[in-house]
Amino acid sequence: MTFLARRIGFYLVTAWAAVTLNFFIPRMMPGNPVDALINRYQGQMSSDAIASLNVLFGMDDTSSTFQQYLHYWSLLFHGDLGLSFTFFPTPVGGIITQSLPWTIGLVGLSTILSFVIGTLIGTAIGWRRGTWADSILPITTFFSAVPYFWLGLLAIMLFGVVWQVLPASGGYDGGLVPTFSGEFIGSVLQHGLLPAATIVISSVAGWILGMRNMMVTVSSEDYVTVAQAKGLSERRVMFGYAARNAILPQVSGFALSLGFIVSGTLVMEMVFSYPGIGYVLYQAVSAKDYPLMQGVFLIITLSVLVANMLADLIYALLDPRTRQEG
Amino acid sequence: MLNRRLTSAALGLAALALVATGCSAGGATASTTTAGQTLTIGMPNGSQTDNSNPFMNTSSAMSLGYAFAIYEPLVQVNPIQPTQDPVPWLAESWKWSDDFTSITFTIRDGVKWSDGEALTAKDVAYSISLRKDNDALNTAALPYKDVATEGKTVTVTFDSSQYVNQNKVLNLFVVPEHIWSTIADPTTDLNQKPIGSGPYTLKSWTPQAAILVPNTDYWGGKPAVPELRYTSYNDNNALTTALVNGDAQWGWTFIADYENVYISKDKDHNTFWAPAGLGIDTLYLNTETAPFKDVALRKALNMVIDRAAVHTTATSGVFPQLESITGLPTPAGDDYVASAYAGKKFAVDVDGAKKVLADAGYTLDGSTLKDPSGTAVTFTLTDPTGWSDYLTSLQLVADAVKPLGITATVEGMNADAWFTAIANGDFQATMHWTDSGATPWDMYSDIMDGAQYVALGEKANWNFGRFQDADATKALATFATSPDEATRKAALDTVQKVFVEQVPAIGMVARPTAAEYSTKNYVGWPSADDPYNQPQPTGPQASQILMKLKPASK
Repeated sequence: MTFLARRIGFYLVTAWAAVTLNFFIPRMMPGNPVDALINRYQGQMSSDAIASLNVLFGMDDTSSTFQQYLHYWSLLFHGDLGLSFTFFPTPVGGIITQSLPWTIGLVGLSTILSFVIGTLIGTAIGWRRGTWADSILPITTFFSAVPYFWLGLLAIMLFGVVWQVLPASGGYDGGLVPTFSGEFIGSVLQHGLLPAATIVISSVAGWILGMRNMMVTVSSEDYVTVAQAKGLSERRVMFGYAARNAILPQVSGFALSLGFIVSGTLVMEMVFSYPGIGYVLYQAVSAKDYPLMQGVFLIITLSVLVANMLADLIYALLDPRTRQEG
Repeated sequence: MLNRRLTSAALGLAALALVATGCSAGGATASTTTAGQTLTIGMPNGSQTDNSNPFMNTSSAMSLGYAFAIYEPLVQVNPIQPTQDPVPWLAESWKWSDDFTSITFTIRDGVKWSDGEALTAKDVAYSISLRKDNDALNTAALPYKDVATEGKTVTVTFDSSQYVNQNKVLNLFVVPEHIWSTIADPTTDLNQKPIGSGPYTLKSWTPQAAILVPNTDYWGGKPAVPELRYTSYNDNNALTTALVNGDAQWGWTFIADYENVYISKDKDHNTFWAPAGLGIDTLYLNTETAPFKDVALRKALNMVIDRAAVHTTATSGVFPQLESITGLPTPAGDDYVASAYAGKKFAVDVDGAKKVLADAGYTLDGSTLKDPSGTAVTFTLTDPTGWSDYLTSLQLVADAVKPLGITATVEGMNADAWFTAIANGDFQATMHWTDSGATPWDMYSDIMDGAQYVALGEKANWNFGRFQDADATKALATFATSPDEATRKAALDTVQKVFVEQVPAIGMVARPTAAEYSTKNYVGWPSADDPYNQPQPTGPQASQILMKLKPASK
């Protein structure tokens, strides 16, 4: 029980520090939202708009930073993240709920896929080390070494432009309205295929490598030899004895990577024009959109913290040694 | 037993994924054929939110441009032919007072809002009062004084002459009073069900696309396109891909080497048109610090820059070349060029530049130019990193001054730092745009208006080079306020004389209002042969263009 209480206390303090940093860091960045907006339009927007924008964004607000900080906390407790500047006057909460499901759906699914495929392959080639299967490693590491944007652009060029078999951009066909219809879901899957495939291809090597190395270590342990001596089937020994122990670091790595799903993969979202949260954050940062930045950072911080906590707990559950005190 | 369950769960997931991939591969061809008669309009503006507030440049409606398929302006003005008569739109006619401090609009009869209510002069007056009473909505910063209606006319008065702002007044769009007067705060309303008078109404909005269908009782008749689909792409590359493979048929994004990348993919239909308005890209020179304090050096620099190279190399031929030595773009500015400078064009003249420098007391020490006090002449050219067209232009300038014995270096900066530096006058030479307007006044005022002067270290909105010349400042003020046409012309001639002789800044290239469009399904686009308006999808001209489109005969 003390273990749990101590962990929760720790995470509360971390959350407070993170939220406070969230508030101050964007304000320490150079530039301001009005200049950024005028800059972005490069003369397409008349400079006469500066005056109206200052009023609109509340840049004429004279309260001190500390007052704003207190105000920010009181808004947070009311669940209000404010109005975005970039998409003024859309509420930040609305933008996040609009883009987050896409990121979680696509990046989440491809992270799980990548983990499952990587771990299975890693188990197999770790068990049969020294055979032809080892050559899978350099091939997959090659793909993870290739810059992701290049892989993405290549995929778009081949499948979207040259062969035109898959859509090159977007999360679903623009003519559809999101509903739970077969047509819409089909369109989502079809649009998600290229980005998901490229993410899996470029990230699977890490999982394979980690699992294979643990398998190699574990398979020389005495209990594996005992299991084999007992005459258990090869498959049973591989999964039940070797893989079960080798998977521990993989699981905590996986729990941690779940936290980063929420921050999205900016490059993927840019290359594929995917409507996720990574690109929203990028836009917010380049537009000095403090409310939106804070909102997105908050969600990311909280999810990383939750993932960490989950990793802590799962590990304690899987490996009794970490539960022992002192 | 844990291991069994884990493994089978994992296998299950993998199987699910395989099924998913199988499904999607099968449906791959379905979406490519829906284009049919739909017109897809793309902009490279990133994520959008369900926000159709036409007063906010940040809304999806304004960012993608569909606000102007729904809301219409009083009058259609053509920024690429500024001397042409504007086209009556919601206003049948209008009349300025002689001193341009008041305008009376006569509102068209028989116009209905898309919810069936009639559009009246009161709606127009209300729309203008909204801007008058809310600084946050007055995006054109017009100094409104009073708004009055009488029958079907609306009279608006201003605190000062609006001669140079005519387009901003004529272009004002109109919103229905019966909707907006019930909105608590127009500055924070998302207006998700926009009611307008335009040729289209919003059918559905999703983060991927805004879909518009014709307004059934539109006063101007039935538009030819049965469905508009406005889509936002996350960057220029994504939109370029969409334009090239035909997913989008109208849009604006900078495509380097557009001939090969875009036009050659469908020579008969893909069109790129970049007409100039009255705005330019200009090289601001800091006229308060060395070395550009000296007019001789500014003149010499102006003589060695190759505008044709800026046009072809830096902007890939996209931005129209600047020809007239007055800095006015061709053909939009032709009618304004002073008779003394008619037909005079920029030409590279290295020997002439050397002579100007020698006459001013500059000497060549070996291959280094020294100013009259004996200091070597060097300067730094700055612009934000990543603005490749600007940085290439700057490199051309740096190369051009080498034969004069000047060492110039090009430096990229962080965009925010640059914005602060240029506003505070903390630079030697930097490239920046000017506004464009109804007359060349905006452009010249942005470059050299003493009324915009602030000391070095304070934040300037324009006149970044801190240029001061009493004649030019007076002439600009006269041009903006004089009720007499001959006086205005004389004033503009004076401004041009100062611009040519004192080189407050250097005109580099014209800033076009450019767009890509395909004539495969629809014709009737604005073009060099029929320049009835600028071709961009985002602007009040959208309703005019949409009403001119006709199905292509096949």
